[in-house]
Amino acid sequence: MDSDERYRRLFRTALTIRLVEERIIELYPSDRIQSPVHLSIGQEAVAVGVCDALNPDDLVFATYRSHGFYIAKGGSLDKMFAELYGRIGGVSKGKAGSMHLSAPEVVLMGSSAVVASSIPHAVGAALSFKRRGSSRVAVAVFGDGATEEGVYHESLNFAALMKVPVLFLCEDNGLAVHSFKNARQSYNLLEHAATFGIESRRVDEGWDMLAIRQATLDALSVVRAGRPFVLEIATGRYKEHVGVGDDFHFGYRSAAEIDTWKARDPLLLDGKLVAELKPEIDREIAAAADFAENSPFPGRDELLTDII
Amino acid sequence: MNVSSKERPSTQTRVLSYAGALLETMDAALADHPNTFIMGQGVDDFKGIFGSTTGLAQKYGADRVFDVPLMEEGMTGVAIGAALVGDYPITTHIRADFSFLAMNQIVNLASKYSYMFGGIMSCPMLIRLVVGRSWGQGAQHSQSPQATFAHYPGLTVVMPSTSQAILDMYPQIIARHPGPVVSIEHRLLYNLDFSASAETPSKPIPLTSYVAREGRDVTVVATSVMVLEALRAAQYVAEKAGIEVEVIDLNSISHPDWELVIGSIRKTGRLVIADTSWLEYGVAGEVCRQVMLRDPSMLRQAPAMLGMAAAPCPTAKSLEDIYYPSQHETVEAILAQVRGSGHGIDLPVERSMTEGYKRFRGPF
Repeated sequence: MDSDERYRRLFRTALTIRLVEERIIELYPSDRIQSPVHLSIGQEAVAVGVCDALNPDDLVFATYRSHGFYIAKGGSLDKMFAELYGRIGGVSKGKAGSMHLSAPEVVLMGSSAVVASSIPHAVGAALSFKRRGSSRVAVAVFGDGATEEGVYHESLNFAALMKVPVLFLCEDNGLAVHSFKNARQSYNLLEHAATFGIESRRVDEGWDMLAIRQATLDALSVVRAGRPFVLEIATGRYKEHVGVGDDFHFGYRSAAEIDTWKARDPLLLDGKLVAELKPEIDREIAAAADFAENSPFPGRDELLTDII
Repeated sequence: MNVSSKERPSTQTRVLSYAGALLETMDAALADHPNTFIMGQGVDDFKGIFGSTTGLAQKYGADRVFDVPLMEEGMTGVAIGAALVGDYPITTHIRADFSFLAMNQIVNLASKYSYMFGGIMSCPMLIRLVVGRSWGQGAQHSQSPQATFAHYPGLTVVMPSTSQAILDMYPQIIARHPGPVVSIEHRLLYNLDFSASAETPSKPIPLTSYVAREGRDVTVVATSVMVLEALRAAQYVAEKAGIEVEVIDLNSISHPDWELVIGSIRKTGRLVIADTSWLEYGVAGEVCRQVMLRDPSMLRQAPAMLGMAAAPCPTAKSLEDIYYPSQHETVEAILAQVRGSGHGIDLPVERSMTEGYKRFRGPF
């Protein structure tokens, strides 16, 4: 494939994520979305680069900050907006909302709002693939804070012992809510992975979709050979932990930290490509918001269905 | 001890231990369903979870029956992930207490997977817990968490009290139950022999409650090993005083047959609840809630309740003996319901573990 064409494809997906979330920011004061939202703005390149490297049938388990992965994996915008609006036409009939997005048709599995809790799910799916002799892999997406949870360590140990095809993908934005990594971690993630005999790599250029794509492809060659891999990608969370605002005015972090990310952000630098692609994406987003607006709210009959 | 507790129309019966029934159903699950696997600490070792998985790793291979590191949460998460892509995992905890390390996965994930995602995903799986009792199990090897798990919508909780209950429930849970099931087995039952059907049920048997013994004078609603204690007490009061006790095995803790239970209480007007756990915020409270919701006047008097003392389980035998309801107390509760406290009928002298359980001596 022509590399310009590839860049353009990745860029378009990243821009879609950005524009969807900017639309969410605009809509939020209207109370159409009555649930917490954790925005991916600033982290789009990770989802886009990783998902582009995957095969369509490779499974992804993501987190409560997963609008990016939902879109990058190919989830429907109509169903996403309807889900955020709490409507029956949503992915999960409005029962999931932003924090539990999923798109089984493109094997984006359920997102969990309990940090680290879906990491072993990817290991389990990978174990199943291995038992069946399948070439599919599973990806566990998590933030740097998740690596402090016990289940992360249990998952690495088990994946290494059982030699299952799982990619552990750490989105390292350096923050757990408002806590910095140096106040939370006594270890280096890659050195830690090595103690389990797990190969790993860090990508510092978290704005570079093509570099992330290539790093993921390299990692997947190890994973498809039956060995887990830890891929850590540095990135920047532009917005507050939860909600649609900025949080620099609270003083716990400075805008300058994020400015260094913005200075490399292709979505901010390549105005020409943005201008070219934006109208069509805007139309898709408007159509999705209309779809959501016109979808009914789930009725009382939904309250006690799907329990078991 | 051979306890025949479940009336069945079957003509062919056999003697089968609880552990034997477990092994039989685990074996059948692996044979009948290629997507089934069993994992847990020690499932493939020479003891095989007290004989319930012995030899299965050799028979079906290490990718179907395998040991895991000490990782209760991780193991349960692995099971969920495998279930989501079509496997049927069976996990084991040699003590129910250890499943508390997996509470995040069981409660926050497995129980909610269907509902939270609007029914588009599910994680059918069987989580087997073994409750310990006697020989100094102490505070952390003795807990019986049926109320804990049954509290959460999305979990199905069962407590098989006999070999037959295992034969009836496990195959259909594994073959067709759409969600996660927590089965709370009791270590005291493992080595007991039961009369069980020699025939495979011709149609699925619902996960439900059943009448273990019919009677007209008082209803005892019981769980797990307390069903056996209730049956022994029923036999005693029938012989000593001609009192006919109706014993109901709640069996399916999360989804009991309340009509059956309430119908029995309406008939007898007297109620004893005998549970393996604490009474506070537990099965006893739930049975009473169901009565109160319908018609409190169906009870002629306040019900009696038997369960663990409201303390962590002590290790010392002298304390452990009085920590659990004895046969003496069970009989006394039944007699007091029917004849009042001044019944004047001799109570069984047995105040400690019963004759039938004496084979259970450890080590474990």
